[in-house]
Amino acid sequence: MNALALFKKYSIILLAIGCISVFLHAEPSSPSGLTVEEFKKYHKELQPTGKEAWLSIPWKISLLDGQKVAGEEKKPLFIWAMDGHPLGCT
Amino acid sequence: MGYTNNRDPQRVINLMQRALKKFKPKKVKAIKKGDPDQRYNPKPPTGGLVLRVRAKILSGYEPTENKWKKIFQSSISRDNLWLTQKEHSQLVKGEFPEKLAQRLARFHLVDNTRGEPPMWRKKEIKNIKIDLKKGRLTGKAHLETEKKNRGYQADLLGVVETKGGKVTRLDIVAKGLFWGEGTYTRNAPKGKFPLVVSFELADGKDVADAVPPQGSRGWVPGYLNN
Repeated sequence: MNALALFKKYSIILLAIGCISVFLHAEPSSPSGLTVEEFKKYHKELQPTGKEAWLSIPWKISLLDGQKVAGEEKKPLFIWAMDGHPLGCT
Repeated sequence: MGYTNNRDPQRVINLMQRALKKFKPKKVKAIKKGDPDQRYNPKPPTGGLVLRVRAKILSGYEPTENKWKKIFQSSISRDNLWLTQKEHSQLVKGEFPEKLAQRLARFHLVDNTRGEPPMWRKKEIKNIKIDLKKGRLTGKAHLETEKKNRGYQADLLGVVETKGGKVTRLDIVAKGLFWGEGTYTRNAPKGKFPLVVSFELADGKDVADAVPPQGSRGWVPGYLNN
């Protein structure tokens, strides 16, 4: 088999494998410059781990809801307030 | 019973311990809720979607021993992106709405990892192109101020899944180089630095899901119809 015939044979197989892998892949393929691996990595990396201490506090974002619970549980109110966006100070 | 404007955890604990010593429990009635003024109590659009948005700087900071700077240098920000009912429907049809691309760029491709960032003005969107084909989302963004002292050039990649006429998954990652800082986001890395922004569908289980987007503050229609 000459080089051209070999190329034709294997390029068809590679093309078929490529098509199947794209078809089976549930994640995005990209002409954007970001790879699928990067997409998965960073999307996961930017998730909270669930171990953050502040996540263990049952925050209320309504003052009245907090006041109601404080009254029911006979506890003082702790208010964390700022003059900017509540999520803006990271 | 107590007050502090200091964020040092030990000082906050001391404040709480002092207050607890003074606290004498007594029976109190819940304050009855009136009709909230919607201007100060905005809700996500009915039938729309809420996306959680997070950002992180990957590298570029000067090493520091300052404990506060260390926190900011490794922080992951959090905001929410609101979509209208119409935009939700368009996504289900396999289209990525132009208005949504503009909103995503103006208010969410920002460096909010050290505080409240300046949002992009319309004219600072040099390019935002997001394509959605068969559930695969790809895109490019170029945002830059007129003075060229702040900017972001990024690639976007994502996936959209739908079921029963609703979006069930909407994950996006934007990665690129950011430069510059804002009045309330000082001490950015020098020069250009890698910034990643991620988006995911909110399920309402996180209390922060209910917070309106920072870009909508005071003017939700302006945010939605940017």
